[in-house]
Amino acid sequence: MALQEFVSELESLCTAANEAFSKAESGDQLEDGRVEFLGAKNGRLKSAQKLLGSVEKSDKPAAGQKLNQIKKAIQAAFEEAKSRLVNAVEDDLDETFDPTLPGAPIRMGRLHPITQTIEELKDIMGRLGFSIEEGPEIEDDWHNFEALNIPREHPARDPLDNFYLATANQNSGQPLLLRSQTSTVQIRVMENTPPPIRIISLGRVYRPDTADRTHYPMFHQMEGLMIDVDVTMADLKTVLRLFATNYLGEDVRIRIRPSFFPFTEPSVEADYYWNGKWVEFGGAGMVDPNVLQSVGYDPETVSGFAFGLGVERLCMRRHSITDIRDLFTNETRFLHQF
Amino acid sequence: MIVSWNWLKDYVDLNMDHDELVERLTMSGLNHEGSKQIGDDFAIDLEVTSNRPDCLGHFGVAREIAVLYQTELNIPTVELASSKEKIADSFKVELDCEDLCYRFTARLIRGVKVGPSPGWLVTRLQAVFPGYKSINNVADITNYVMMETGQPLHAFDYGKIKGGKIVVRSATKDEEFLAINHDRYRLDEGVCVIADSERPMAVGGVMGGADSEVSEQTVDILIEAAEFSPMSIRSTARQLNLHSPASHRFERPIDPTGTDYASQRCCQMILDLAGGELAGGIIDEGRSSFHAVEVTLRFRQLKRILGIEIPADVVPGILAALGCEIIKSDESVLTVIPPTWRRDLSRECDLIEEVGRIYGFDKIPETADVPMAATVKRNEDRVAIKIRSLMTAAGFDESMTASLVPEPWSVEFSPWTDQAPLVSSQPMLGVLEKASKDIGRVEFARRSLVPSLLESRRINEHRGGEEAELFEIAKVYLPNVDSLPSEPLKLSFVGSRDYYAMKGLVDALFVEMNPGTKLDYKLCEEKIMNRSRGSVVQLNGKTVGFVGEVSSYGQAKFQLRKACSVAELDVSALLMGAILVPQHEKISGQPPVTRDFNFVVDESLRWNDLSKSVSEAAGEIFESVEYVETFRNTAKDGPDKKRILLSVKFRSSSTTLTGEDADHACQSIIASCREKHDASLVS
Repeated sequence: MALQEFVSELESLCTAANEAFSKAESGDQLEDGRVEFLGAKNGRLKSAQKLLGSVEKSDKPAAGQKLNQIKKAIQAAFEEAKSRLVNAVEDDLDETFDPTLPGAPIRMGRLHPITQTIEELKDIMGRLGFSIEEGPEIEDDWHNFEALNIPREHPARDPLDNFYLATANQNSGQPLLLRSQTSTVQIRVMENTPPPIRIISLGRVYRPDTADRTHYPMFHQMEGLMIDVDVTMADLKTVLRLFATNYLGEDVRIRIRPSFFPFTEPSVEADYYWNGKWVEFGGAGMVDPNVLQSVGYDPETVSGFAFGLGVERLCMRRHSITDIRDLFTNETRFLHQF
Repeated sequence: MIVSWNWLKDYVDLNMDHDELVERLTMSGLNHEGSKQIGDDFAIDLEVTSNRPDCLGHFGVAREIAVLYQTELNIPTVELASSKEKIADSFKVELDCEDLCYRFTARLIRGVKVGPSPGWLVTRLQAVFPGYKSINNVADITNYVMMETGQPLHAFDYGKIKGGKIVVRSATKDEEFLAINHDRYRLDEGVCVIADSERPMAVGGVMGGADSEVSEQTVDILIEAAEFSPMSIRSTARQLNLHSPASHRFERPIDPTGTDYASQRCCQMILDLAGGELAGGIIDEGRSSFHAVEVTLRFRQLKRILGIEIPADVVPGILAALGCEIIKSDESVLTVIPPTWRRDLSRECDLIEEVGRIYGFDKIPETADVPMAATVKRNEDRVAIKIRSLMTAAGFDESMTASLVPEPWSVEFSPWTDQAPLVSSQPMLGVLEKASKDIGRVEFARRSLVPSLLESRRINEHRGGEEAELFEIAKVYLPNVDSLPSEPLKLSFVGSRDYYAMKGLVDALFVEMNPGTKLDYKLCEEKIMNRSRGSVVQLNGKTVGFVGEVSSYGQAKFQLRKACSVAELDVSALLMGAILVPQHEKISGQPPVTRDFNFVVDESLRWNDLSKSVSEAAGEIFESVEYVETFRNTAKDGPDKKRILLSVKFRSSSTTLTGEDADHACQSIIASCREKHDASLVS
């Protein structure tokens, strides 16, 4: 084959390839073009390459050079077309496309508002250095009353005001009841741990009130306890204040005023100032020396404070819930609001 | 306790305004619950804590004010003139139950003119008892003196007392009593009655009787002032559902010196307002339960407990103003005898509280240097958070249900124990939704959360037509013979999904805690579960849960319209193996090779067994085995055979696998499955 012929063959191949690549409007068309011209087995460039063998021996260097040049050109045209297509908008606009139709729904469950409140309380108290402790919900008289300085004749022990179980603890003969307060945990912790103590206990407690808008025979309490040498009411007030600031915000004011609980002396009620009035948020006080003694602590050496909050009350106020029973009916329409 | 502003002024100067006073009272322990203006008076409602019965009368509240404002307290003195007649000559009191009634006193007034009360008396009573209807001067005066002193009193028509004596005794079984409200009561033994020789005239400390009450015809009256056992009053008032201002006061210890004072004060007012002549002397049977005690306060304890220095010179003043008699005082200690009306003051800590509250808790700073302390998040909490986030991500809402359930629920599903449930002596009231109201008393400590969740599901179906998908993490209560009940924590969930979707969630929960968890699933015989769509979940041979579709029996029992599934898992099983700080393993950069197998096996072969054989036979390059599907082709394979299509992925950590490597592993798998399970490849 004459050199001239070979060169013109290559050039027309190059023109054809250029045209095919530049006309390609989709990846598929471009791929067809690539197979046609650059295909490794039967591509037209490959075929042209085979013609090199029939070129006069003296012309071979020039022919080879030309082949390389054309090969590069076709390759470049392909790459250019490829990048053109990648950068172009893939498809024409589909007129039926409605971007506002609903997405495939993802149904996320929600945490119960009481859990959300409890988690928040745990977080805050954790930051203030209080560790979480738990205890049994079914308790004996000693932990629920006796050790907490609530003697047998105290009205709080009236069988009608408690969920006593029909069976006593068969071992000790002590009556058992669903605990009426989480202070039971404080006793268990102090019985098993020497001071210092800095804990909160959280959980379900039970009192036989008939369920109505503001009462439920089961609810949650958080109780805090701090025992050490030289723990005073100033520490109590400081912790309550830090708690309120954490929970409600920077500018909240608190106050404590005298109250009465058998297991603390002095006993106080803590209020915070909210929307122009004082709102009760829990009971507190210095742990009664009788309580310290009942767990084997020496009230002359250590002192401490305790406080307790009703979780439902905090939760309901936080989320503007007006009927406590809604918390335990578990309608998803209710639960899904939180 | 409602007090009248004008009434208080009889005993203490009120130079402050109303708002300031109630603020001070609130801050010193008498929480202000509200006030109502009545003409030129305020009816002030104060919350009196149970340790402060002294403030259940105007004297006590006036004393608090006098202490707070450091002014005089003027308690009226009583001087009584009496006739020559001595009460003891013609009348007797037999006190037969000193456990129920500690002390009983009586005075006699003859020739009383019973009639309407003066207006001022009624106005005052109406201020402190909203809606009070004046009875007559004598009865009104007993109420007045009770509200003044805190000591309840009772006036009997002396002419109606038979046999010339009062017997204070325990009621006989089923003894009848006609109360002042004309209701008839059947009394129990242990109820203290004030009787004459024939019948009970009053339930002591709780309510008077209809046929001995003072009326317009009454000429002579007997004034009772007594001290009853608070516990007995409480149980009687509760038993008879008779709660009165008197019983409210007698449920707390009363002031023993106040008993006789009130009696005298009452007599004086009757003589003044209704005339008559007081017989000489008093009948005074029994003894008050009160014992005076000496209490010592060490000044340094004030700082130790209250956290502030209180000047030593103000301390005696506060305690003296409160009525303490100071026995001994030096620069470091003070010994006092608390007043008879303050039985709550018997220990040093009680005095610390008194000094603190009068000095002012508002003086205690809220900027103490509380030392820092490290806290560690417990694994229980970490696991609970993981469970909750997985369940909510899976679309379940968290619910909370009551720990006590009615018997049918308790009986229907108790997979964790065969022991009978613990039973409360009180039911929970008002916790059942209307449609379930008659199902039984809510008094059984639950042994599973599942029934409660099915009820919640039913409520959702019923109210909103919603197919609720709910979960709950809570304790169940399993009786123990010789210790407190066990209270294992359970995770339960109910949903609309089928068995395999629920099982997938169970698997995911365990794998989330520990990727290496290998669960086993056994057939489940629980009646509320579909036997062919439910299972017992086992971990290392131990039952850790249940999962399955609810059977039609269960659906009917829980009145569910739509099919649903339940699961209950032991949280401690999730916790036990939990890897909370996962460790890094190098990821292979080599490509995987995947091979599919279509085995013909016996119908009875379980996937768990087959997949275990596959994974064990595949050798080191095994990465995972995936179940694809099951076919049955009886024509070709014969009866009781099935085809299981599965896909195995191989990968080497170090080299690119060749086809020969994979083929070799495949041969090993085929050989092992043939040997162990008689499995053959579909040809």
